[in-house]
Amino acid sequence: MTAFTGSRRLRSLRDVGTGIAAVGVKELRGRMRGRRAFVVLTVHLLLVAGFAWMIEGLAERSVVFGGSFSASADIGRQMFAALLVLLTLIVLVLAPASTAGAISLEREKQTLDLLTTTPISSLAIILGKLLSALSWVFLLLLASIPVTALVFTFGGVGPDDMIKGYLVLVGTALAYGSIGLFVSALVKRTQAATVINLVTVLALTAGTTFLFVFWLVMASNSGVPVDQSRGNAGPLESLTQHPPEALLWLNPFVAQIDVICGTETGFGGSCSIVSGVTNAPGAVNQVGGPDQPFGVGRDTYWPRSLAAMAALSIVLVVLSVQLVSPTRRWRFRLPRPRRRPAGSDA
Amino acid sequence: MTGIVRATGLVKRYDRTVAVAGLDLDVAEGEIFGLVGPNGAGKTTTLRILATLLVPDSGDAEIAGASVRRNPNDVRRVLGFMPDSFGVYDDMKVWEYLDFFARCYGINAERRRRMIGDLLELVDLGSKRDVYVAGLSRGMQQRLCLAHALVHDPAVLLLDEPASGLDPRARVELRELLRELRSLGKTILVSSHILPELEELCTSVAIIDRGQVLAHGRVADIERRLRVGAVFRIRVLGEREAHEAAQAWFAGQPDVVTSDLLDDGQIEIGFHGDDEGSARLLATAVGAGLRVATFSRAASDLEELFLQITAPDAIATGVPA
Repeated sequence: MTAFTGSRRLRSLRDVGTGIAAVGVKELRGRMRGRRAFVVLTVHLLLVAGFAWMIEGLAERSVVFGGSFSASADIGRQMFAALLVLLTLIVLVLAPASTAGAISLEREKQTLDLLTTTPISSLAIILGKLLSALSWVFLLLLASIPVTALVFTFGGVGPDDMIKGYLVLVGTALAYGSIGLFVSALVKRTQAATVINLVTVLALTAGTTFLFVFWLVMASNSGVPVDQSRGNAGPLESLTQHPPEALLWLNPFVAQIDVICGTETGFGGSCSIVSGVTNAPGAVNQVGGPDQPFGVGRDTYWPRSLAAMAALSIVLVVLSVQLVSPTRRWRFRLPRPRRRPAGSDA
Repeated sequence: MTGIVRATGLVKRYDRTVAVAGLDLDVAEGEIFGLVGPNGAGKTTTLRILATLLVPDSGDAEIAGASVRRNPNDVRRVLGFMPDSFGVYDDMKVWEYLDFFARCYGINAERRRRMIGDLLELVDLGSKRDVYVAGLSRGMQQRLCLAHALVHDPAVLLLDEPASGLDPRARVELRELLRELRSLGKTILVSSHILPELEELCTSVAIIDRGQVLAHGRVADIERRLRVGAVFRIRVLGEREAHEAAQAWFAGQPDVVTSDLLDDGQIEIGFHGDDEGSARLLATAVGAGLRVATFSRAASDLEELFLQITAPDAIATGVPA
């Protein structure tokens, strides 16, 4: 019995693998066909390289040579920080855009039925679509590594910092690609999916930042000690506490700031922003945080952010599978308006 | 029930609308089985349940012994489905399109290469192998879609309105193709509005209305069972007087229910008898000196059956399936 169950599971796993490969090959054939892919890749590299060159020029003029041993390292750090922000921006645009039509286009072209009547599972369809869309984003990231590696010639940034930065980029691509895929499975039209994706990206980056800052300002101006405010249950009263860092976990810019903080010596700059988020000592507008010694908590925020993005990705993949499956168990239904009893006035 | 496709008590509701209301089907292996019914009769819903795209609210269906409820994946392995409004990946080449679906069934590279060539020959698209799908005509896309349903050599094919949107030539080609598939041992379930075409093609039919099977079996058997009459059109040589005399003569014959003279000089009679009776009537007419030039059915058997069975009074009284 156990051997039978085991072989069945093995067959299911093999089927999922076959399905992912089939969908992946089809999607990549479409994406890599013709000159478009190579033109996009070239433009991307020119953009990243040009940006790096400009930042290097600006940094050279702002850094005072001879004043410090770390002038060259400062240039390297500034370039690294600017490149991470640029690449994060690129990923935030490309990842949801490349998955926005994954399922809705199948519906629009009326090909989803053809796909779902084959033995490949809905999980394989979703993972195949996600991985093929993201492999294109990963290719762009991979191609940018030599440009980013230029910062090593200036110093100030170690290979481990770069690995951390790229890990956050991969996590961002995964989370925001999954958001795009989920929206694509949820709505019928690709145009609507693209707009919803754009709004979601803005909400999770600019929106969460604004909300966090607003909360922080309200809390720092309240003058109520944190311990006393905990008993109050009202929503406005809760603004007297420091905003939870979880609010910004899905904001990849904050995670990248934490990675950049890891390259810095001393305290200030990006590190003060991160400690402001985590409510560590030395933070700007710190609100009653725990009394930690200086430096504790550095370089620990981005792994939490990465874990949150991975968790979101898993949840959204599961939900997308349900939405695509013709025999799904969960149904999302909007509540129907109640009918007025007969004879009642309009 | 011993058929390769069996359905028992299928029910499917969309909110308050009952699309399929306790439908039973039994299709023997090797048949070309036609599903006939007006719009909204439940044909597409039935086919989509059989194709595992919809889960029935109650009842079950089995294809080659696999239940659409319990083993949808096993059903998909023995089934090829061509939906009513099908789409194609128009950014792919013809061979890539078939290659993709063959990959979905886990077919290895060597078999895929051979199978794609054979299938393209079968559907007469051998010369279009490296053409983009977007460049194919509607009829060619239809044949390609049919080829996609055959990549895994399924025992059963479900075709929902396969001839819709095709020109007459493409329809004839599709019909020939389906006959060829039957000769290869496939069981084919096909729904269509074009009844004469189904009549020529199908070995059996089920007439469906309001989600139920009203009649089921071979067209001739249903006709015999229901004793349904036929409408004949007769052209008699001669002038107006000769036509009027012939019309009066037919009106006086047994089994002739109605006899009308049409504007073009033809006589249309409603005849309540079988083929023997119609042959006898023609012989008697010729024997009586009528110069009969043509004597033919005004509508196909299936059309007549369909109209009579789906008439509101027929449904109200209940027609035996």
